[in-house]
Amino acid sequence: MKIDHSLPLEYSTEENRLKIFGFWIFLGAEIMLFATLFASYFTLYNRTGSGPNGAEIFHITPVLLETILLLTSSFTIGLGVHAMRLGRQKAMMGFFVVTLLLGLAFLGVEIFEFVTYVHEGAGLQTSAFTSILLTTLGTHGAHVTVGLFWGLYILIQVKRDGLTPETGNKSFIFSLYWHFLDVVWIFIFSFIYLKGMM
Amino acid sequence: MSELFPLKQVMGFVFSLVLTAVALGVYYFDMSFAVGMTVLLVTAFLQAGLQLVVFMHAGETEDKGAIYTNVYYGVIIALVTVFGTLLALVWDMG
Amino acid sequence: MEFFERFAIPHPSIAIYASMVAAGLTMIAVIAGLTYFKKWGYLWREWITTVDHKRIGIMYLISALLMLFRGGVDAIMMRAQLAVPENKLLDAQHYNEIFTTHGVVMILFMAMPFIIFFMNFVVPLQIGARDVAFPRLNALSFWLFFMGAMLFNISFMVGGSPDAGWTSYFPLADGESVGSHYYMIAIQIAGIGTLMTGINFITTILKMRAPGMTLMKMPMFTWASLITSVIIVFAFPVLTVALAMGTMDLLFGTQFFTLDNGGMAMLWANLFWVWGHPEVYILILPAFGIYSEIISTFSRRNLYGYKSMVGSMVLISLLSFVVWAHHFFTMGQGAFANSIFSITTMAIAVPTGVKIFNWLLTLWKGKIEFTTPMLYSTLFIPLFTLGGVTGVMLAMSAADYQYHNTMFLVAHFHNVIIPGVVFAMLAGLTFYWPKMFGFMLNEKIGKWTAWLLSIGFLLAFMPMYVTGLDGQARRMYTYSESTGFGPLNMVSFIGAAIMAVGFVLIVYNIYYSVRYASRDISADPWDARTLEWATHTPVPEYNFAITPEVASSEALWDVKKKDHVLFKGDYEKIHMPNNSGVPFIMSCIFFAWGFSLVFSLWIPAIITTIGIFVCMTLRSFEKDHGHYISVKEIEDTESELRGA
Repeated sequence: MKIDHSLPLEYSTEENRLKIFGFWIFLGAEIMLFATLFASYFTLYNRTGSGPNGAEIFHITPVLLETILLLTSSFTIGLGVHAMRLGRQKAMMGFFVVTLLLGLAFLGVEIFEFVTYVHEGAGLQTSAFTSILLTTLGTHGAHVTVGLFWGLYILIQVKRDGLTPETGNKSFIFSLYWHFLDVVWIFIFSFIYLKGMM
Repeated sequence: MSELFPLKQVMGFVFSLVLTAVALGVYYFDMSFAVGMTVLLVTAFLQAGLQLVVFMHAGETEDKGAIYTNVYYGVIIALVTVFGTLLALVWDMG
Repeated sequence: MEFFERFAIPHPSIAIYASMVAAGLTMIAVIAGLTYFKKWGYLWREWITTVDHKRIGIMYLISALLMLFRGGVDAIMMRAQLAVPENKLLDAQHYNEIFTTHGVVMILFMAMPFIIFFMNFVVPLQIGARDVAFPRLNALSFWLFFMGAMLFNISFMVGGSPDAGWTSYFPLADGESVGSHYYMIAIQIAGIGTLMTGINFITTILKMRAPGMTLMKMPMFTWASLITSVIIVFAFPVLTVALAMGTMDLLFGTQFFTLDNGGMAMLWANLFWVWGHPEVYILILPAFGIYSEIISTFSRRNLYGYKSMVGSMVLISLLSFVVWAHHFFTMGQGAFANSIFSITTMAIAVPTGVKIFNWLLTLWKGKIEFTTPMLYSTLFIPLFTLGGVTGVMLAMSAADYQYHNTMFLVAHFHNVIIPGVVFAMLAGLTFYWPKMFGFMLNEKIGKWTAWLLSIGFLLAFMPMYVTGLDGQARRMYTYSESTGFGPLNMVSFIGAAIMAVGFVLIVYNIYYSVRYASRDISADPWDARTLEWATHTPVPEYNFAITPEVASSEALWDVKKKDHVLFKGDYEKIHMPNNSGVPFIMSCIFFAWGFSLVFSLWIPAIITTIGIFVCMTLRSFEKDHGHYISVKEIEDTESELRGA
């Protein structure tokens, strides 16, 4: 394995460069995945059947809380990658831990929000609108959940192996994933919640 | 300590909070649908671009061209899919 | 016993029971054969756990050929049923099941793996790479596809076949039997594999080309594979979401495509075709790439209009995403929306026409040699153009009200898919066969096959244009004598039978050539032009002992005509990936997961879901640095292959 020391750790081998590039392509596919959900959401937005519509069930407080949690976690993981490039393993791990905790908090609020929806009569089976709403939010939430496990695994590996080309590469790719989830959330926040409450 | 908080990323974070606050305006102030949607579209895409450039380092390697092409291609096809679907199933559906 | 009742088929027939027996006997024969010849270890080490793109490619090929015959049997049964009016060979339910599985199998489990076989086998060789970017992901892609295909194929024997058409429109796909469950879940599993193939090949082609091979010096098949991969990456997520929504409707009672509570069945049709139309180009572009390679090789001149070929493919990739509504012009949207999709659809004919002219101009003043691959390619040009022209007819939304859901449409899409895709697959198979197996397929039998398939094709599908315009609806299991469709449908049946003979001849050709063909052929038996012919036959594990250096899109031709030197420098040790059983095991778990969901067996479904995540966790913690092939080993292999 040829290691090029002139580049940051995560880019230092050919395999690493391939993985980062491949992950960008994967994110391209993810754009379409969420675009399809958004297309379906907008199509079914007014098709509420006998169930409630968006304005009746959306509440600004949990949504704002989720947004701030996720935006901050995106910031902290960016700092984590920065610390990694400085070779500061402890600081990097600290930022990753904070990121995962913020992600966990986000998930907690989202679960609370889902429970509230169901209590207000907006379950998965209520209407086309509630089905697509919960599916879109749920797909994002499932991504966050997978991310929490993935991030945890990477933390364990960084602790075990230190900062190597492999762990550096995994950490960087994970940061791409996490930032992307933040971008998706921005669109959910803007075009599902804020548009719905406008 | 300060080397762990580079100005670029701190400013990026502050800017993303500002964009969120601006977007929130559509909730707290009364505005027409067109104005509201414009605000949301502008803030959302600025926010996405910010993440891409400041935090995701999309332009830092020789693959810059391919990565941006990939993202633009995805966004264009995504918009076509969303608006084409709306055109066929909602706006022009008798 | 109540538990087992769910696995019974709701609508049995003698043919299905016979298939069950045949499938069971085949399984027993395969297991007994492997045991008797002590081949289990070989199968596991050399094939199931392989990450070598060439072997994975060959496994795709075998799957595709198997599925070709499954889909072909469906086709011949349909034509036999329609051969005479009021035929009683099949009843309505069986006919529905058969046209459904024919479509799904042929598109998703025959044509897709066939093109992915070519991408796998040819692209890394053509760009001078050692393997694809992510060899293990490639193995996972194959096994997911394979398990998805197998899950779909057992449906008619366990629980009941899907019967709502390959488009599976809601509310027809109501989940009355588990057929629609199979459809949603099996295609989902295979589709995830395909999506990963797309990501893998974009990365491979953009990042792993030989030194000197700039984008505009890539061989045309590599270009076609790149564009195809791009379409896969952006189209397949749409299918993923649509299938997930459909699955949730069937299993969890969501209201996406239902008839009340706001559900909108038309949304399924819309999403299906947002994926479905680009899918058409996923199939045809690699076919165009293969034709380009073959036509230029056997015209003994470079491809005419390289840049316009590339440009037209890029344009097709974008246009393919903006035409989907032409599949449902009659669904109820207004003239405005239809007009837009009409115009974009007609626009696609322009870049496609550019390609046709480029091939014609490549032939022009070429020294044409009519080998079997070339025969297929020259038959393709007029036959495909015919299909393209009827496509433009269908593109006109006002006129489409007349054609919609008639045999005219069936004739059209078979007219583009058979000469376009199937002929390309057979031409490419004949072309690359010697590179894979070290001997050539028999030319005489090959040419007979090409002519039989062409004549059979014309007889089978030209009459449908006529009966379609006369009003014969597609997907109707019979018709009355007074319609007058009888004689032309009989002609169709005869054509289908001739095609069946052609396909049997392919099998015979393989058998004949295995037995009698000369093994003493060069690594470049066709006098070809690109890099894949510059390495040995059989291709060593590492493809090229020394990474080639390239100066044009026809690197091997430069060697022959311009004294270009491909391989400079000495041998160095080569880094190769390790084999792994995880992709196969994980795909088996996916199969069990899919099967559990199909029959709503929740506890196994939960256990297998956990199993999938355990596999991913193991992968995350695994340390696999691959292995090196030493200079000594390379020298030995090279001298052995050179026959020294």
